[in-house]
Amino acid sequence: MTGRLIRGLAAIVVAGALSTTAWAQQKEVVIGVIYPLSGQAAQVGVDARHAIETAVDLINNSHDIDLPLAKGTGLPNLGGAKIRLVWADHQADPQKGRSEAERLITQDKVVALVGTYHSSVAAVVSQVAERYKVPFVAVESSSPSLHRQGLKYFFRTGPHDEMFSIAMFDFIEDLKAAKKIQVNNVALFHEDTLFGTDSSNVQLKVAGERGIKVAADIKYRSNSASLSSEVQQLKAAGADVLMPTSYVTDAILLVKTMAELGYQPKAIIAQDAGYIEPSFLEAVGSKAEGIISRGTFALDLATKRPSVAAVEALYKKRSGKSLTDNTARELTGLLVLADAINRAGSTDPEKIRQALATTDIPGAATIMPWAGIKFDANGQNTKATPIMMQFHNGEFRTVWPLDLATQPVIWPMQSK
Amino acid sequence: MVIFAYPLRLGALVAAVLLVLPLGFTEPFAQNILILTLLYAALSQAWNLLGGYCGQVSLGQALYFGLGAYASSILFTRYGVSPLVGAPVGGALSALLALLLGWPFFRLRGHYFAIATIVIAEAGYLLLLNWDWAGAALGILIPAKGDSWLNFQFQKSKLPYYYGILALASLLWLFSYWIEKSKWGFYWRAVRGSSEAAESLGVSIFRYKMMAAAASAFFTSICGSFYAQYVFYIDPDSTVTFAISVLICLPAVLGGIGTLWGPAVGAAVLIPTSELIRAYLGGTGRGGDLVVYGALIMIVATLIPQGITGLITGAARRCGYRGNAQPEVRRDAS
Repeated sequence: MTGRLIRGLAAIVVAGALSTTAWAQQKEVVIGVIYPLSGQAAQVGVDARHAIETAVDLINNSHDIDLPLAKGTGLPNLGGAKIRLVWADHQADPQKGRSEAERLITQDKVVALVGTYHSSVAAVVSQVAERYKVPFVAVESSSPSLHRQGLKYFFRTGPHDEMFSIAMFDFIEDLKAAKKIQVNNVALFHEDTLFGTDSSNVQLKVAGERGIKVAADIKYRSNSASLSSEVQQLKAAGADVLMPTSYVTDAILLVKTMAELGYQPKAIIAQDAGYIEPSFLEAVGSKAEGIISRGTFALDLATKRPSVAAVEALYKKRSGKSLTDNTARELTGLLVLADAINRAGSTDPEKIRQALATTDIPGAATIMPWAGIKFDANGQNTKATPIMMQFHNGEFRTVWPLDLATQPVIWPMQSK
Repeated sequence: MVIFAYPLRLGALVAAVLLVLPLGFTEPFAQNILILTLLYAALSQAWNLLGGYCGQVSLGQALYFGLGAYASSILFTRYGVSPLVGAPVGGALSALLALLLGWPFFRLRGHYFAIATIVIAEAGYLLLLNWDWAGAALGILIPAKGDSWLNFQFQKSKLPYYYGILALASLLWLFSYWIEKSKWGFYWRAVRGSSEAAESLGVSIFRYKMMAAAASAFFTSICGSFYAQYVFYIDPDSTVTFAISVLICLPAVLGGIGTLWGPAVGAAVLIPTSELIRAYLGGTGRGGDLVVYGALIMIVATLIPQGITGLITGAARRCGYRGNAQPEVRRDAS
């Protein structure tokens, strides 16, 4: 019985090995993808899988969509070679991320790596990639420390956290230039973990550089039971713009407390996270009207970029969901990598790295609202410009950059 | 089964096999599994000193693991101190902390002691998460400064890591072997058996518990430093979580609590299983790997509660063999 079982297993293993060699004889390009596919963040990995497989579908099969590599099958410069993905699960554990990255490179012979959502895992994977001289494209990990390691094989297609805060002030300056909206001072309001502290540090610095006064900088304990005294302080400071950084429960509490105490600034420019969560919008209802938040993607871009609607349809068919900030970045990341492999005309990781380094894709050729994709010496895409969205009549609409806006900004905000 | 009758001869044999083993497994993935197995064997052997022999079940060993990882990493990245120095410094700090915590904690018994260890480790986790100087939630990235024993960094080959952790695991095994024969070991087991009886016979149970805690914390911390140098990155989530504490005692529980071979046998079963299952079933995103892993642990826990080594020695007994060098394997309530 066991003998038969073992023989059966052996047969499966041999068949598996043969089928992979048969695959290898066809032209294909193998890319390793590392995500949390089990554990607490598993949903992120599952969504990423749908997004990245949609991108592979776009490349491998012919689609009438105006994106690079969408028309025609496979990678033209490699004789129509198809992309094959090998998935690995890091379970949000850097040690597992390291071991999976090594396995993908040494055993599956992947030509490049894509991942990883968690910045902690990305930090470790970027080191492994550097050692084996294989490019690693980080698509949504946003810790600024990642691209400051001075690595040659690290590329990040998405923006990092500091770019978001800088964009908020760019937005304020554009408003002044284009719409004569004057912002004299801002109030910062942030939670006390890494996310909030980093956010306010950058906001403080940039406000100083741009000559905008910071009327109040209030740090609050995350998951507080009450924010009344903090809101009183904000009210007393009376700044034109409130810039809050919070996760969802605090965001709900802040907006409700502000309504109770009758405090309304001219505008709220929020740091994404809690202020765009569906549960937040549900909990505060009409009080969300007029809130502005930064983001990297909004579906209303479809009116400016036709490819967005087509890609959204493909993704929805696969996953049953709409594209989000994260999934749009993931899908784009793989397309950027495939474009580089195609331009390299080779599966040699070094040539792919060189091609990535010379990437210059205009924003119009992506589904993102970005100015484009061009990496600096550290591998950071400097053109990954964030957007500003304003909540109006039940949905977030893009209001900045001004040329991509689907609605003019409503200033001062008018609550209902 | 005579294999456990002469621990030193068996130990030498196992060591000899382990010395040449990586020559047969040259893939980094396989070597990584061997290194992790030895790391968890060592960690569990350290846990076994306090939790096994002395019967004080700690579910907060991650605190010392993290302290070791952070101590050597901070010393290395901020002050350029070699991890070879940083690891024993971390170990000494951990032992000291274990003594400080032991002072109040060893007045608690059984489950209350276990709960206290969980709580204090959780407090350590929150502290590290909010402590900017120690990297807070961002953690510490250890820069690659070139392969050398002084930096304890090896990028080109994993073999130095392998032999490093093999040496540490062997040292811990020898220490356990020595403990089993020494006065300490007998006192520890007496404390586990019945602390009242031990005290009535003149064993200063508080002092011996403190010694066990300090020794266990010291070695756990050294393993933490090794981990940091091996992965090149630490953050509170990968070093001081409850999950790590559980992983540290799991091999000993599975292999046989309070036995010389239990931690090693348990680690040799658990770690390769978990790694292989994740690597070959984990890519589906359906969590099948964790289901299989969990089921395996439940089966072992239900069918052989005395642990795998208990199963082997039990089978040997039934076959009529009576070993005298093998210490009694007991099921322990706490």
